[in-house]
Amino acid sequence: MSEFDVIVVGAGPAGSSAAIRLASKKMNVLLVEKSDPPGTKNVSGGVLWGHELDGVIPDWEKTAPVERYVKAKTVGFLTEESSINIDFRSRKFDENRSGYTVLRVKLDQWLAKKAVESGAMLVNGVTVDRLAMKDGKVVGVEQDGDTITADTVILSEGANPRVAIQSGIREPLKDHDVAIGVKEVIKLPEEKINERFNLRGKEGFAGEYVLGFLKGGVEAGGFLYTNKESLSLGAVISMKHLRANGNTRSFDIIEEFNSHPSIAPLIEGGKIDEYSAHMVQEGGYSSIPKLFGDGYMITGDAAGFSFSNGLVLQGMNYAIQSGITAADTFIDLKEKGNFSNSAMSLYQEKLQKTFVMQDMTNFKGIENVTWGNLTHQHLPGILENVMLEIFMENGMPKRHMYKILMDAMKKQNVSSSRMISESFKMIRRL
Amino acid sequence: MALKIVVLIKQVPDAEEIFIDPVKFTLNRSQARGIINPADENAIEAALKIKDETGAEITVLTMGPPAAETALIECMGRGVDKGILITDRVFAAADTWATSLTLAAAFNIMDDFDIIFAGESTTDSGTGHVGPGVAEFLGIDQVTYSVNTKVEGKNVIVERSLEDGIEVVNVPMPVLITTLIGSNMPRRSTLRMKIDALKKGITVMDHEKLKLPPEWVGIKGSPTVVGSLKIPDEKKREGKKYEVEEIPKLVDDLIEKGAIKIGDA
Repeated sequence: MSEFDVIVVGAGPAGSSAAIRLASKKMNVLLVEKSDPPGTKNVSGGVLWGHELDGVIPDWEKTAPVERYVKAKTVGFLTEESSINIDFRSRKFDENRSGYTVLRVKLDQWLAKKAVESGAMLVNGVTVDRLAMKDGKVVGVEQDGDTITADTVILSEGANPRVAIQSGIREPLKDHDVAIGVKEVIKLPEEKINERFNLRGKEGFAGEYVLGFLKGGVEAGGFLYTNKESLSLGAVISMKHLRANGNTRSFDIIEEFNSHPSIAPLIEGGKIDEYSAHMVQEGGYSSIPKLFGDGYMITGDAAGFSFSNGLVLQGMNYAIQSGITAADTFIDLKEKGNFSNSAMSLYQEKLQKTFVMQDMTNFKGIENVTWGNLTHQHLPGILENVMLEIFMENGMPKRHMYKILMDAMKKQNVSSSRMISESFKMIRRL
Repeated sequence: MALKIVVLIKQVPDAEEIFIDPVKFTLNRSQARGIINPADENAIEAALKIKDETGAEITVLTMGPPAAETALIECMGRGVDKGILITDRVFAAADTWATSLTLAAAFNIMDDFDIIFAGESTTDSGTGHVGPGVAEFLGIDQVTYSVNTKVEGKNVIVERSLEDGIEVVNVPMPVLITTLIGSNMPRRSTLRMKIDALKKGITVMDHEKLKLPPEWVGIKGSPTVVGSLKIPDEKKREGKKYEVEEIPKLVDDLIEKGAIKIGDA
């Protein structure tokens, strides 16, 4: 007889969602979190996209500690001198609020509290060492020489899946699978934020940028989000490129981003309140490990469920949905008391029916496009040259767009056949 | 008979997360998480070491808001046997006198004890009054500034860290000992013991249970009055730089400005 029905490792959005669902179905749940209180070790941009929390906390949009809803969304390309942005605002987008900026310290604590209110036992400030195994089956977790038993362990340990790796159920991460996220929270009065980003009340801004000005082929994306009284600004840098450019440092890149001529005025006068860094999952479909086995399931970032296609960066919605799906799987299996590998495959089956696996499958290989020198090096330069020639009046006769584009591509050493083939790949994957 | 130890702790705001309000000049602790007062961490560890050696039974006692329960659970996760939280609205805004009295009152309804440990002082008020205050209300001996303790028979050997050296005191129990910050390495809680702690829960006491009249405790029972508070004006730094060979000149300049004095020690 196990001590708990389920032990959930990690009280982030995935783990807490799973715990809430399980506890509200009268399951005996232990939620273990290394940080104290939950959320203090987590880093996320963060915009919470989607309405997956509906599944566990129906009134979350009214009660959750969200900062602002995303009213304006920007995708931008930055070169050393210029910025070319697509700014999207729409009444339709406004009516269907689908993104909220959040600060994870507040959100994660709130979610963990909901899990406790639902009846889960929360232990924070303790780090699980590894999974407890017996005859090849997961029977619980080990910590400081003790074994705590459960019918099933749900691993929701985030982007750095230490317990899974220590327990030998997944490979160590490879450079290709991860990026480094660095982030500053910059305090700024509410009125200043509203004025600078053209917002009112609870309206918010979410911008993601290709940092096309970095040297040495380093590829990084920047983000800038508005909270109530602060900005979240950060950069996500591919690990592969950091490693290849030994003298490039993540904190220099965030400096270059926040001093860019189009970003600096937005944060001027702000005071850095928090500085943090964390690993980010970027490997896409190919980095997803085996999601289940005898007595365990893996959810959220730990399962590689994060998504960025260059236009959006998402993770929390996948985390929440996969946590709920894992909980539902356990509830189904509990009736028969069979938590074997083959029974547990129900988790994968259920996930396939959700947007989690569908997105991961549909956008398979997208990381090769979003992380590639066409997007990060050439495209910003090409766009800059095209814009400059179109908009700068210099007394010369105007040329055709096509000519301008061809010349701009030549300057960036991009052949038209490569442009066509890469564009095709991109369109196919978007 | 196992020794009985009581540890007095306080949950304080994490000093790293407190900032000064730039307009009102008050401490903003709203964003600070609650932690166990650092010197109390050492008091807990000192008690746990005695438990390791003698199998003593440890109770941890705190006064504070209901949220202070997390600090007690953390202690129990390290091996403390029992947690008691004294919480009541009437205890709010107590000074060190009223706090000492309230904590001492809890001993009237607890089992007998052999040793009381307390942190030497707290990071959020730093008076160092409460440990000695409890000893005085209980009428027992006290040993302050402890860096090491060892039980020998019915006595405790306490090493006190003083400015001019270590003083070793041999004192009979019952005794109250205050521990200096950093005097030992606090252990971490374990998952097993925290689960057990959450299952066991803590004991809560209010003023009725302690049989304390409301006018003796909280703000009513606190004789301390803050006369005034002065924030010194910020001096503008001159930003002068001296090379190593100019140090004699630096000393002369500092004497001239009255920043340092030459005289008999």
